[in-house]
Amino acid sequence: MDAAAPRPKENMGEPLPRVDARLKVTGQAHYPADLPTANIAYGALATSSIAKGKVAKLRLDEARAVPGLLDIVTYGDMDKVDKPKFGNSGATSIGPLHDRTIFHDGQIVALAVAETFEAAEEAARLIRAEYEEEKPTATFDSPGTATIPAAGKSPLFKEDVKAGDFDAAYADAAVKIDQRYSTPTQHHNPIELFSTTAYWEGDQLIVHEPSQNVTGWKVELARQLRIDPAKVRIVSPFIGGAFGSKGPMTPRTAIVAVAAKRLGRPVRCVTSRMQAFGTQTYRAETRHRIRIGAGKDGRITAFAHEGWEVTSRPDAYVVGGTSATGRMYDYGSVLTHVSLVQADRNTPGYMRSPPETPYVYALENAMDEMAVALGMDPVEFRRINEPKAEPIGKKPFSSRSLIQCYDQAAEAFGWADRDPKVGAMRDGDWLVGIGCATAIYPTAVAPCAARVRLTVDGDVRLQCGSHEIGTGVRTVAGQMASERLGVSIEKISVEIGDSSLPPAPVSGGSISTASVCSAVLMACDAIRTKLYAAATAEGGPLAGSHNEEFELAGGKILAKSGASAKVGDVLKAMQVGAIEEYAEFAPKGATPEALKKLYAGTPEFHGGEQDEDSVKYAFGAEFVEVRINRYTREIRVPRIVGAFAAGRIMNTRTARSQLMGGMIWGIGQALHEATEVDRRYARYVNRDLQDYLVPVNADIKDLQVILVPEVDHAVNPAGVKGLGELGNVGTAAAVASAVYHATGRRIRDLPIRIEQLLV
Amino acid sequence: MSQPSVASNNGFSRRRFMAGTVSAAAAPLLASTAQAEAPVIPQTKLRQPVVTSLRINEQPYELSLDTRTSLLDALRDHAGLTGTKKGCDHGQCGACTVLVDGKRVLSCLSFAVMNEGKDITTVEGLASSDGKLHPMQQAFIDHDAFQCGYCTPGQILSAIGCVNEGHAESENDIREYMSGNICRCAAYPNIVAAILQARDETKGA
Repeated sequence: MDAAAPRPKENMGEPLPRVDARLKVTGQAHYPADLPTANIAYGALATSSIAKGKVAKLRLDEARAVPGLLDIVTYGDMDKVDKPKFGNSGATSIGPLHDRTIFHDGQIVALAVAETFEAAEEAARLIRAEYEEEKPTATFDSPGTATIPAAGKSPLFKEDVKAGDFDAAYADAAVKIDQRYSTPTQHHNPIELFSTTAYWEGDQLIVHEPSQNVTGWKVELARQLRIDPAKVRIVSPFIGGAFGSKGPMTPRTAIVAVAAKRLGRPVRCVTSRMQAFGTQTYRAETRHRIRIGAGKDGRITAFAHEGWEVTSRPDAYVVGGTSATGRMYDYGSVLTHVSLVQADRNTPGYMRSPPETPYVYALENAMDEMAVALGMDPVEFRRINEPKAEPIGKKPFSSRSLIQCYDQAAEAFGWADRDPKVGAMRDGDWLVGIGCATAIYPTAVAPCAARVRLTVDGDVRLQCGSHEIGTGVRTVAGQMASERLGVSIEKISVEIGDSSLPPAPVSGGSISTASVCSAVLMACDAIRTKLYAAATAEGGPLAGSHNEEFELAGGKILAKSGASAKVGDVLKAMQVGAIEEYAEFAPKGATPEALKKLYAGTPEFHGGEQDEDSVKYAFGAEFVEVRINRYTREIRVPRIVGAFAAGRIMNTRTARSQLMGGMIWGIGQALHEATEVDRRYARYVNRDLQDYLVPVNADIKDLQVILVPEVDHAVNPAGVKGLGELGNVGTAAAVASAVYHATGRRIRDLPIRIEQLLV
Repeated sequence: MSQPSVASNNGFSRRRFMAGTVSAAAAPLLASTAQAEAPVIPQTKLRQPVVTSLRINEQPYELSLDTRTSLLDALRDHAGLTGTKKGCDHGQCGACTVLVDGKRVLSCLSFAVMNEGKDITTVEGLASSDGKLHPMQQAFIDHDAFQCGYCTPGQILSAIGCVNEGHAESENDIREYMSGNICRCAAYPNIVAAILQARDETKGA
């Protein structure tokens, strides 16, 4: 079997090819901006060139003179529309056309609409703004920041976790470190551009836009437009990469909907790559101070993690990764504190493992430093601090296979051959270093609805308003139905990505596979129950058999006694053409309003640290080899191995691909990605894919993913832990560890670049 | 949408237009003399549609286009071939890669009118009429060489171009010569494996 399709181990599903693979290689997968729409008008955004102040005057005459111009939507034109809200469905509370205040660079000041894309672009560039400009505050250390405690500012970050008496334990510790780390602003940069296409059919609004949250957007857009959510439909059948960027809706959507209404014609606005940096969300830059104290035996007695995060003036977006770092090891005592630093910036948002990427990077880099301070093997150091229960609430882990991950990855990597001495490993002109780090991601799950229909011909139609962002949810949902109904995957059609389908939660927080598969499982099992009841009823093909165990396979009901009946015959006996079941899955601990909230676009998340019985996380261990040229200091990562345990693996192919993509993201975090901020103007400088560096093919060589078997029935009925955001956690710390091993230089500020390694 | 659009009659011949653009384009290179030359066509006329003949996937198309229209936008918005993707519009991501006369080209960096009479292959033109996939398409499925699939048409066309250039002789070569196509889902190792699988069959295709 080839590397892309790992052989399933215990509790793992088959590596079926993606059900939408053919569409994707033939150009027939229609992303929102591809959906055929007749008589379309094109929109282009004009954005601010200052970060703070007011738009005193907007001169539109030149723009209006462009041949083909149809309309300009700007100040005053959104007065009958409510302002956006900041939250899970809304990226920011800034209503850019509701008032003339400029909160950040690149804020929308107008939308030009024209007969052609070229004319719209030309007109947008001719819109001239005159500003009352004020001196903006860019980021940390800029004059004018305001620092506030983060706890309680977000429903997802209620408190600064703590345990025991850190101060006393730290004071008494025999070995200690006290260090600071930082991570930069980063932008998701999915390759699909952000776009909105809107049109009205009477009072019904249809929006084609890449979205990780069609139900949430439907409700939020209807609120802004002051119409019934039933009159709004969000269509997003394929999404060209998301990584969190398409979770919350941005203000553009309502503006384009208004433009379409004014024109009485469909309007499509594809945001330019450059404009996306200011009109979408991003990963906030963070700073960390970590203190660790331990005995000479390597047992940690004290851990403190303080974090600072940049956010916008009006919205308190919290990164807040201390909930996970505070529970990672058997610390003894824990102290954490997170602060928000407000500046004149657009509002940050979720980006792949939002809290864990920066916070676990800091923790794991510190753990490596501590291992060095103790003179211990870094794997051994983690092993002896492996907890029996998490240190904050003393709750057990529902499952925790971290040490198995370390052992399997270490063996595959050849960790035992590492000479621990700094600078000891060389290959010609290359300094070689080897490092490792832990990956962790909370396992959450949310309510979800699904509808499944089994026809007399054995065809299955599965409907669920989740989102295919590349994770393979269409495939694994189909696989779940295939397993439960005994129907081959070719006979199953999966409809997804449309707010008119049964609602699914936002595809964020790595909850989709668990939530969707749990709902599909329920719907399929309801079909099974009906089938079995009909088959065993008097006169049915399995009459006389009761409460027996049975299987569905190959279109047949197979009773344990050996009797069998064709599913098609059972449906005929029932005198129906199909059985259709709609199921609503609510996780353990869900409130009575859980499904109502799902329909309202505000799904409850359960799991992670929140449950009473246990804390729920997926874990992994990553090992990397770095090579640093002794003359140029060019840094390469020729080899990386990651081992991960995440409960039931639905499909080893899609799971491996997600983890692999995550690990490469991790290499990007370590070596490439940073949005540079011009401190004078609070402006992003490298707003394109030439200057915003992401890993390319030549950056990646030998990469191995190991799927470690794990069974966990506590997390959700499907037994699935999310893994889409697991692979990129810890990687950057592993690289930093390897860079130290190669050079003796501890790099604490990401990304690690050549200039940091020059003497 | 796959039907060629009908050209509008604007009384403007392609010959006159081409003469005009060539002079205008040349002006900056002739700095000392350019100032004396008035533009051949007033700027407003450059915005008028021009009929452009393209041969896309072996089908003739006559498209009425704003002269500023990129080959990418002509394919997507005028020929209805949305398989070719826009990822940056700046020639930095590779998502819009097509084959022009067999060579890989970033369609966002090429004006449609520059491709008059040329043979263009897009992802829609790779499978044979009986539905059999091009070996490169099949290899991308076999090796799960994509996740979201958005960069995939560009990756596949770039891969075919890469093989035909003779730049797929080693894994390192493939990595280097495929680095103009960004995959943000980062399926890179699988893309390399797919190209290795399809390489020999592609050479003969």
